Amino acid sequence: MLVMRHELLLVIITVILLLVEIFLPKDQKHKIILPAILLFTIVTILGFLPGITGELFGGMYVSTALTMTMKNILNIGTLIVFIQSVSWLKKEENKEKISEFYLLLLSTLIGMDYMISSGDFMMFYLGLELATIPIATLAAFERYREKSAEAGVKLIFTSALSSGILLYGISMIYGTTGSVYFTDVKAAFEATPLQILAFIFFFAGMAFKIAIVPFHLWIADVYEGAPINVTSYLSVISKGAAVFILMIILYTVFAKIAIIWRDVLYVTSIITMTVGNLFAIRQRNIKRFLAFSSIAQAGFILLGLIGQSQLGMTTVIYFVLIYIFSNLAAFGVAGIIANVTGKETIDDYDGFYRTNPLLSLTMMLALFSLAGIPPVAGFFGKFFLFAAAAQKGFYILVFIAVLNTIISLYYYLLVIKAMFLNTSDQPIGYFRSDNYTRIGLLLCVAGILVIGFASPVYEFILNLSYGLY
Amino acid sequence: MSAESLILFFIVGAFLVGIAILFSSYIPPKSTNPQKSETYECGIPTEGITWLQFNVGYYLFAIVFLVFDVETVFIFPWARVMKTAGTKGFVEIIIFFFVLGAGLLYAWKKGALKWE
Repeated sequence: MLVMRHELLLVIITVILLLVEIFLPKDQKHKIILPAILLFTIVTILGFLPGITGELFGGMYVSTALTMTMKNILNIGTLIVFIQSVSWLKKEENKEKISEFYLLLLSTLIGMDYMISSGDFMMFYLGLELATIPIATLAAFERYREKSAEAGVKLIFTSALSSGILLYGISMIYGTTGSVYFTDVKAAFEATPLQILAFIFFFAGMAFKIAIVPFHLWIADVYEGAPINVTSYLSVISKGAAVFILMIILYTVFAKIAIIWRDVLYVTSIITMTVGNLFAIRQRNIKRFLAFSSIAQAGFILLGLIGQSQLGMTTVIYFVLIYIFSNLAAFGVAGIIANVTGKETIDDYDGFYRTNPLLSLTMMLALFSLAGIPPVAGFFGKFFLFAAAAQKGFYILVFIAVLNTIISLYYYLLVIKAMFLNTSDQPIGYFRSDNYTRIGLLLCVAGILVIGFASPVYEFILNLSYGLY
Repeated sequence: MSAESLILFFIVGAFLVGIAILFSSYIPPKSTNPQKSETYECGIPTEGITWLQFNVGYYLFAIVFLVFDVETVFIFPWARVMKTAGTKGFVEIIIFFFVLGAGLLYAWKKGALKWE
């Protein structure tokens, strides 16, 4: 099989969908939904075929078993987003733009795949931009809504700023080492003050993308303003891809200054967890609530990055996989409620269990998984993260993380309490969700329930991480 | 090398830039008259409000223009090495044309080339 298989397949289906969109009559645009989902399902399945590893373009593009697994994880998440967004796309005001949603989403995915597989900073930056700019368009997708347009503008400005900072860091790295290739930079790295400054700039740029405190300020407004399906994509796939590439670069290029970036991660991890959690308590809008909860989750991910080891690497990938399923389930339920009733605040969820028990149970599972309560997958993800950090002797950090988990449990339970215990005079009435939403949520629930117990998944990733970096 | 040299670099940098700005504001002789403070780039003074909303058509045309621009950037190096690139290079540039053409066709279909 081809080395660049994931990207080529995505490019092919993007062009096919573009051609279909060109020749479809205006009143039949909705017919693209099923082919798009089927094509992407095929791509996702083909991604799992064993592939050859290797380099292309003189080392600009590197494909390893690990990057392939990362791309497969992103593919699965995007497939769920595809399926979940159908009910929103079928709304009257979006009918003309259905294929654009798929085209833009696929473009960002291509960008992320190239970013993960990059072997030098130029390829990495190209992929990063391709992954960012279409998302700004997607955030402004409902342009008749003022908040959506605002989200798009805010996203493009913050990503422009962060890209600038990132490029500054990259240019310093190039200036001091004379190369942009990861392997050359790694060999020529001497940990001079200028190179450390370059790392700080680079990390700040990436911190914008992952939304690490203190670079998180754009996140709440963008998440609230963007359409809920775009928000779920932004908070899960986008963040996951950025975490993956940050991990690869930290472990390879900046391996020599591990002592320094460990300190940086140590501090930012504590601040990110705490700020995300404390702000999440106060949110009444479900999208803002999930935005801050995702900031807190990013803090936990940093915890895994600190344990610079095979174990740390495995746990981060494993945690992101679980996080994709849990967060997409939560966003899926919030999305279907917002689409059917237009209600987005937590107070509206009072008495939701009485009218829609299945959706409530799905939401409960998702929030339990995010909080890390034992039977579901989220517990195992967090447990391994903490174990990875503890193995390296970061006991205080793990203690703070456990405290933060308890805080997070409080606000996740607030939503569950609203749905199950609170009563309301006007609860959200009973509604039947369409089949696409059901399939999407079913996939998420299956992921949440199965992955935690499926040790083969964990061991598979662990085996991949050995000896690669 | 240590952190001190970096701090020194910042201090010296700020100092030099600050000195340059200070010098250029203090040293030269100053004379102002209405003609001198006019905007000089485009001749006549502007009329009305300049914070106008521009027709979005300009952006669309600029983006469609970019299609041809990128095409030139890629076709020129290819044309230079066409003989050595051989069939493989030819097929690759055809694929590239095809993708770009699909983009142009899309813009055409959506009415981006129509001036309203």
